[in-house]
Amino acid sequence: MLGTAGLAAQGQSGAQIPRRPLGRTGLEVSALGIGGYHLGSANSDAEATQIVNEALDAGVNFFDNAWEYHQGLSEERLGRALRGKRDGAVVMSKVCTHGRDKNVAMRQLEESLTRLQTDHLDVWQIHEVIYENDPDLIFAPNGAAEALLAARQQGKVRFLGFTGHKDPSIHLKMLSHNFPFDAVQMPLNCLDATFRSFETNVLPEVNRRGMAALGMKSLGGSGELVREGAVVVTMGLRYAMSLPVAVTISGIDSVSVLHQNLEVARGFQPLSAAEMQIVRDACRLDASDGHLELFKTTKKYDGDLGREMHGFPSSAELPV
Amino acid sequence: MPNTNGDTIPLRQFGRHKDRISALGFGGHHLGDAPDEPSAVRLVRQAVDGGITFFDNCWEYHRGKTEAWMGAGLKGVRDRVFLMTKVCTHGRDKALALRMLDESLHRLRTDHLDLWQIHGVCFENDPALFIRKDGAAEALEQAKKQGKVRFVGFTGHKDPSIHLKMLATGFPFDSVQMPLNVFDSNFHSFEQQVLPELNRRGIAALGMKPICGHGAPVQKGVLTGEEALRYAMSLPVTTTITGIDKPEALQQALKAAQGFEPMQPPAMQSLRDRCRQYAADGRFELYKLSLQFDNPEARLAHGFPLDMQQVEVREMLKMTDNSGHPFPPTK
Repeated sequence: MLGTAGLAAQGQSGAQIPRRPLGRTGLEVSALGIGGYHLGSANSDAEATQIVNEALDAGVNFFDNAWEYHQGLSEERLGRALRGKRDGAVVMSKVCTHGRDKNVAMRQLEESLTRLQTDHLDVWQIHEVIYENDPDLIFAPNGAAEALLAARQQGKVRFLGFTGHKDPSIHLKMLSHNFPFDAVQMPLNCLDATFRSFETNVLPEVNRRGMAALGMKSLGGSGELVREGAVVVTMGLRYAMSLPVAVTISGIDSVSVLHQNLEVARGFQPLSAAEMQIVRDACRLDASDGHLELFKTTKKYDGDLGREMHGFPSSAELPV
Repeated sequence: MPNTNGDTIPLRQFGRHKDRISALGFGGHHLGDAPDEPSAVRLVRQAVDGGITFFDNCWEYHRGKTEAWMGAGLKGVRDRVFLMTKVCTHGRDKALALRMLDESLHRLRTDHLDLWQIHGVCFENDPALFIRKDGAAEALEQAKKQGKVRFVGFTGHKDPSIHLKMLATGFPFDSVQMPLNVFDSNFHSFEQQVLPELNRRGIAALGMKPICGHGAPVQKGVLTGEEALRYAMSLPVTTTITGIDKPEALQQALKAAQGFEPMQPPAMQSLRDRCRQYAADGRFELYKLSLQFDNPEARLAHGFPLDMQQVEVREMLKMTDNSGHPFPPTK
């Protein structure tokens, strides 16, 4: 395991969290973002509210969510916590058509807006593009891509994107449609760098197109990288945040995890190219069969709604 | 049920070697689902009488039960069949492989295997671990030299690129096993990417999962079991291994195989087209996308989570002397 000494110098308490341009949107976002799924996993509504408020106070302004997280609880919690503070936040949520049509998407958008207590989203993304025929279904006539454009036209969303955790080739298939995406979300961590790599295969293309890259799963999705000793938290997070991304979205389900991650983000200085190479090399063996990136190699992180729409067994029947 | 229609099962040449084996092979894993040993023994006997000469098995299936049952079934007829089993090192070393070989021979009641294969080559680093110094590749060579196995090969159900990586190690394999079915032809396709390469190299191609493992597309009414099996058997393979757990399954397999005439290319294309929409997201090929078909030894050796529903895991945890550690027990 890489230690905390030397390479993993901590962020400076009191310093600002850096802001970066969100692609060509004109928005600026904090280098660390709050993941929506884990807001729904927090022990109580009160703790979720505290996470959001303390994050805002610390200078975090990017908030991730999705229509299907915890049957709406994640969006509701974020909506409540942002009451009166909506304007200071860049709010993203995701639509969960999983191959279904535009009408389904527009209905979900209305529900997301209601739960989030807002009249518009800053970014609306297609959630969980992880099945190989998803791009075909999304860009079929009357598919979800048309919903994105219609929602933007109506002023209900400002910017558009998609997300997925499975395979770089599926992301590239999405990009090959030359749809005007503003943002693309993907898993980025120090193991990904050498295994079915989004960092190598997708990130340069997203930047070349001027889209905002949104990183996620910096520690494996549920801390697998740390739990299995591949890397320490601070180094894992620092590696992900040092990549050419607009924001690294981090799942935070308690105030103590928030404090830990804010420590890294305050006054954040990216690792040098040489330091990043050392981290990649140190993780290469752990990366080589994908057993810590279960979202790529197993069904573990694939949501039930998507499985149902694609005719796969549920997570109860097929956990991994 | 020796012979259902008076015809015999065609024999095909085993790669670059002179041996000929039946176009349909008896899959060992499902044998463990038979109700008891006498039923399993009967199935094996009836299969031999029906003209099946290729028998598949594996050290880790049902924690050894299927090898033992097959060994009992083949008692007295061992010389009439071409017997294969697999070794489950999953990246671990030569010494472990040779220990497993001796256990397999003992359970199968024979002094040699016709074919010994590396089981479950499913992870991107498996080829490197196989060919490393003191890895399983050396065990294959040594077992061949000792006369304990005649031919060697490997198997896996995950990704054509991993099979190609194994071939790129340059090891002189006699056979390669892979999933071949009508859904595979349009999704991460072994048929497209691996099969032609094997035929070019004179390596015996062994097809498996002709009806996708447990027959999900048949249960969902997408195609019939007979169509699925005929498609797989019509590919340029030496044999198609199908799981046999009960007399009805044996009956269906023999019916398809005895007097088998391959489907013509247009009929194969029309079946591919019919199944294309279901192939597109891999819903019937879970072995390519999930851990479901990855056996516990593979998961343990690679640090993937176990599946408590899996029969081998349940049996492993039941045994008081093995609480889920990799073989051999580490403590």
